[in-house]
Amino acid sequence: MIPRSPYLIMLWWPILALAIASTGPSQYVLHILIIAGIYVILAQSLHLVLGQLGLLSLGIPAFFGIGAYAETLLSVHFGLDSLLSLVLVAGITFVSGLVIGVPSLRLSSHSFVIVTLSFAMLLQVIAFHWVDVTRGALGFPDIPAPSVLGFSWTDKTSWLIAILILDVVTFAAFIRIKTSRFGRALAATKGNEDLARAVGFSTFRVKLLAFAISGTLAGIAGTAYAHYITFIDPNVFGFSVTENLLIMVVLGGSGTVFGPMIGAVVFTVLPELLRFSPEFRSLLYGVLLLMAMLRFPLGLGELTSRFRRKK
Amino acid sequence: MFDPLFIAQLLLNGLVVGAAYGLAAIGLTLIFGVLEEVNFAHGELYMLASYSLFAAVSFLGLPYGMAVLLVLPIMALVGFGLSQAAILPNMERPFEVTVLSTLAVAMILQSIVRLTAGSTPVNVDTVFETMTFEIAGILFFGQRVLILIVALLSIIAFAVFLRYSRIGLEMRAVAQNRLACQMVGIDLKRIANWSVVCGVVLTGIAGVTMAPLFDLSPDMGVAIVFKSFAVVIIGGMGSAFGAVVAGILLGVVEAFTTGYGSVAVSEGLFFIIMILVLLIRPHGLFGRTVRI
Repeated sequence: MIPRSPYLIMLWWPILALAIASTGPSQYVLHILIIAGIYVILAQSLHLVLGQLGLLSLGIPAFFGIGAYAETLLSVHFGLDSLLSLVLVAGITFVSGLVIGVPSLRLSSHSFVIVTLSFAMLLQVIAFHWVDVTRGALGFPDIPAPSVLGFSWTDKTSWLIAILILDVVTFAAFIRIKTSRFGRALAATKGNEDLARAVGFSTFRVKLLAFAISGTLAGIAGTAYAHYITFIDPNVFGFSVTENLLIMVVLGGSGTVFGPMIGAVVFTVLPELLRFSPEFRSLLYGVLLLMAMLRFPLGLGELTSRFRRKK
Repeated sequence: MFDPLFIAQLLLNGLVVGAAYGLAAIGLTLIFGVLEEVNFAHGELYMLASYSLFAAVSFLGLPYGMAVLLVLPIMALVGFGLSQAAILPNMERPFEVTVLSTLAVAMILQSIVRLTAGSTPVNVDTVFETMTFEIAGILFFGQRVLILIVALLSIIAFAVFLRYSRIGLEMRAVAQNRLACQMVGIDLKRIANWSVVCGVVLTGIAGVTMAPLFDLSPDMGVAIVFKSFAVVIIGGMGSAFGAVVAGILLGVVEAFTTGYGSVAVSEGLFFIIMILVLLIRPHGLFGRTVRI
């Protein structure tokens, strides 16, 4: 299932992105690459719970938003070094993952989907109405540029490099998790939860930890997003992120190692190439997703059941 | 502040909205109860019904009643389409396939409405809206009274249908034991189609009666699906009776929190009640014990 050197194969994306960047493309092309890079992190976040555990979490925007708001508040009020605040935000989103995970993961898988979605929506409501802290619908404009060890940047080439570094680190972490003992515990839990419990895994803890790590990844993507776009409002908790992610991860192939990464890049770049309006893109994504589910619900349905039969 | 008239008014408003929530949530819980499939297109179906009503009233110039009679068969057709495209093919597959399929349908419906009607909120005007009368100091609005009557009649009619019709009997049988039903020759596909169509039409009835009260926007389905899920989870997934009780409960809670606090508080409260119920009774107030 895992290629011999996944750490090398994953470098296709940074190499490709840097190759494009080295040809001196327009600011717009760089922007698309940066957004694709942010989606690579987010896709990994969904992939960890959906692909590795079969848990359909619609709560990724909750962590993405928490990350974006936490980073914004930290940098606006305290002016912390970005590396330090990134670590803080990772901690905050990890703990949020535990807090949201404990009630949600106890539920049936149907309720889990609904409750994770509800958490994202609740946070959006809070962001809209807790005006003293979040500035409500006004949002935060002019989020300061990141500064790491005194080095600060605003130009898009540096941004691309920074995002690619984050991509490589998060993807390496993902592979590390997948090949570790914990990764095997995830596979066991997904394959047959009762059996996994019988051989001594605390499947609840396994799921909770994976859910919190998934939240951390989304939170890291949120910090990058906030600094890069320099503006956030309650819409960061919105459903459109989930929509894009589902397309990227499911059509990319949630049962594979690299599928979601490829999906993230393809489905960020493709709509831009074809110059779709957001409405039309959403229509196309809906049709694609429906057709994929009808024809080859691979990764989700077919792959898991094939996996089970092998066991 | 604690004027009894004000409280009675809030209670009435809560009952009205709650009855509609209950009605909409029956549509969701029916599909879950019979088929064990979660319909994530639920909110968009409600939105579609409201927008179809808007189109029939504004563009075709139909009176409200006629427009409703036009919209409901359309909703039945949409329900059949949903069943064919997203529910029937996925009955034997893991549940998340249906979730993703119905989400895809939701995305399609929402973008179609955005592309045709635009994203600016619209409003449906009916004669009932301006109609008001006062009994014992409590204001009765025509449209709200209509909602209450239609919701109660639909719920009763549906309960009778479930209880006494052949299809209703078969639906309840499938909800109880799908395998046994197949063994005695109940056509599962037919029952699946019926359940989805009934569910979508009930959702549509809620959509068309509630439409004149609020502004319509293509993303209104998100709030509806959130509230319906809360209602269904609190009432117990698959329990129609639970949906009605929880719907009315949440309607009243919403009326009082908006009356004394703010909309934000009521949205937050929905969620907190939902989480509390799930933690204390994971199957909801009426789950498992009372099935459809």
